[in-house]
Amino acid sequence: MMFKPRIIGFICNWSLPTEVDIASSNRISGYPKIRIVRVKCIGRIDPAIVLETFVKGADGVLVIGCPPPDCHYIEGNLQAERKIKMLKEFLSLTGLEPERLGLEWSYPFEIERFARIINDFRNKVTVLGSSPLAGERPDMDILLNIKAAKAAVEDFRLRVLVGREIELTEKENVFGEKISQEEFDALLYETIRVEFIRHKIHLLTKEKLMSIKEIASITNMKPCLVLRHIVNMRRKGMITLDHVEKTTPLYKALEVQ
Amino acid sequence: MTAVCRVFKNKRKLPPCRAACPADVNVQGYIALLQQGKFKESVELIRKSMPFPAICGRVCFSPCQDACSRKNVDQPVGIRYLKQLAANIEREQGRIKSDPIPKTHSEKVAIVGAGPAGLSAAYELAKLGYPVTVFERMPEPGGMMRYGIPDYRLQKYVVANEIAYIQDLGVKIKTGVEFGKDINLDTLRNNGYKAILIANGAQQSRKLRIPGEDLEGVFHAVEFLRHVALGKTVDVGEKVAVVGGGNSAIDAARTSLRLGAKQITVLYRRSRNEMPALPHEIEAAEEEGIKFHFLVAPKQIIGEGGRVKAIECLRMELGEPDASGRRRPVPIQESEHIYEVDTVIPAIGQLSETSYLPSILLDERARTISVDPLTLETKIPSIFAGGDIVTGPASIIEAVGAGKRAAVSIDRYLNGKDLRRGREEEIEETTWVKDREAITKKLERYTAPHVDAGRQKVSFEEADELLAKIKEVAMFEARRCLECGPCTECLESEELCEADKAVVDETLCTGCNVCVLVCPFGAINKDENGLAKVDEDLCKGCGVCSASCPERAISMQRFTAAQIMTDVVTALGREFT
Repeated sequence: MMFKPRIIGFICNWSLPTEVDIASSNRISGYPKIRIVRVKCIGRIDPAIVLETFVKGADGVLVIGCPPPDCHYIEGNLQAERKIKMLKEFLSLTGLEPERLGLEWSYPFEIERFARIINDFRNKVTVLGSSPLAGERPDMDILLNIKAAKAAVEDFRLRVLVGREIELTEKENVFGEKISQEEFDALLYETIRVEFIRHKIHLLTKEKLMSIKEIASITNMKPCLVLRHIVNMRRKGMITLDHVEKTTPLYKALEVQ
Repeated sequence: MTAVCRVFKNKRKLPPCRAACPADVNVQGYIALLQQGKFKESVELIRKSMPFPAICGRVCFSPCQDACSRKNVDQPVGIRYLKQLAANIEREQGRIKSDPIPKTHSEKVAIVGAGPAGLSAAYELAKLGYPVTVFERMPEPGGMMRYGIPDYRLQKYVVANEIAYIQDLGVKIKTGVEFGKDINLDTLRNNGYKAILIANGAQQSRKLRIPGEDLEGVFHAVEFLRHVALGKTVDVGEKVAVVGGGNSAIDAARTSLRLGAKQITVLYRRSRNEMPALPHEIEAAEEEGIKFHFLVAPKQIIGEGGRVKAIECLRMELGEPDASGRRRPVPIQESEHIYEVDTVIPAIGQLSETSYLPSILLDERARTISVDPLTLETKIPSIFAGGDIVTGPASIIEAVGAGKRAAVSIDRYLNGKDLRRGREEEIEETTWVKDREAITKKLERYTAPHVDAGRQKVSFEEADELLAKIKEVAMFEARRCLECGPCTECLESEELCEADKAVVDETLCTGCNVCVLVCPFGAINKDENGLAKVDEDLCKGCGVCSASCPERAISMQRFTAAQIMTDVVTALGREFT
């Protein structure tokens, strides 16, 4: 039997072709080859929702909104674009192919374009095959990574950074300073990496007490780097030293407030 | 000491377009539906507030468009063109029919005059389940929409269709029945009509009251246009002078052109800026070669052998502003000059025929009926009046507004309810529009292509393509709307979109300011404690704040993250093909 990818399309009210919309009586509609979840604005798609959709076993997630600069909510589509950019970076860290996440623009009168977008995306996902998270026995390493990414996008630091992007790159702060898009992107990617690894350590030590060496081997990092993260996480109250076994300190995750 | 009576007014927050509309049409709502390409649903939404989408789409003076906030950015949204287009597209498959509404009331209502005021009152009352009969003097219903506005602006079939829709609902229209001759207030009452609405408009032209006005070749505008609409032949000759600067004057001038006149001059006693006619009508008239002479007023019409030969005019200059706020024209001494003409069409306003009405109802000086401005009740209970007969010559949309108000009053009166309670309104305009760059990035305004009689012939395939193109342009134009009103304003119908709003959990908010930055509408601000506060009038429910809030303190009232996940799980659970 041919592989039928399970794709969720998050599509905004204002870009969904009329023909498709009228055929559906509620928010969830079946367009051939894809399942559509209609949202008011794609800017409303919390990054955590996308990652959770992958956890639930979707083979692909396609987000479709109105082409900028057009947006019913002025710039909701641009907000979504930033979040998708961040998510793709996260996916490349988790081992799940970033191509499984797509962002496209379409107008409600472009039914043919809409069909083409969906076909192309579906073909791409078909080539990638079934998601390692789908089915009865998901890949536990990738699952853990996705969960770490999800915890990271739910945390304060990245959300503030992404939320402030326009302010930081387009407007000056009170000191008359402005940072370039390149500087911002570098900062964002660095933060993504750091947040991802910290939340991964957090999840690992939540399951069982772990030493730095153990963590280093699982995360494939130098122990000294792991230690640096742990020092930082202790300061933030994410982790604590549980006890020292012989000469090895064992760490335990704390519930983050 | 006088007792102080506190009046409780209904407070409503509306976008400027709807606040400006005398008939309270949900402009933002139907524009939002057009943005999604839902042309039919859009017209249905208009019909909830009035029965004439196609007519108003063509000839309304569109106060909504004048009030549009978009004018502060570039140009207002082309609301009237959009309405016209939506109504045209709805008609693609023929006339829209409606099922009759069951009569749930037994009290009969009589309406005198099948013009915009009378018909909208009939429409509203029929929707409420009253048996309504409309009496019309002319052979066809429609009033000024049929006999006043010329065919090139408003085609007769458009009027006929929209009236047929009202008749579908169960409204009876009896034509050829003249009020004051065939029927009067007493006969109507004796025939069992429990409430009467007088809405027979202003059907007589105001006279110039200068010598020579009774010569052959002088046609007063209203009668002239009515004659043409009735299909009677009117010989206007070659040279026509139209006196006046309102829409009737332009209508008369452009109609004369279509009757074969070669040289048409509009004489107006003030300057162009004071002209009450619609600007695009004046432009169209000029394009057709009609000349305008400003600051001239007729002194006398000169005849020869009982026929018009010339019109003698005086030059004017503008003096102090008068009661209408426009500068009063003052004649310049010894400035007489003569235009040689075959026809003179005075179009200086209209009056109502009130001689057959009991004098207690009337404001004799103005020749109108005096009513309570809120309830439209006259001095005689059970008798209501609305439209031009109350206001003097006004517009279709104002008449529709009056008809709607009269319908509410009649319903209350027949149910023995207070006519006034809760009807006074205090309207506050909401708009979020500030000088933000993002909105100026939006697309340029689209002006509807001017379709003239000499239409090109296109094949079926071309026509389909053309229609798709037009729909596309219309969607773009609708997307220029800035959504000034709150989210609930946008789409009244919840099946089509769910109204939503952001809710802040104050125990989680840390006042980080991200929501204030991401909200495109400036709907979130800090309160006195430094916490986020959502302005419900400005929140459109898009959810960008909720998706960005670092503390996840903002959630959407209806469309929560949990709800989206439930939808995702349901969607994943269905079979994929």
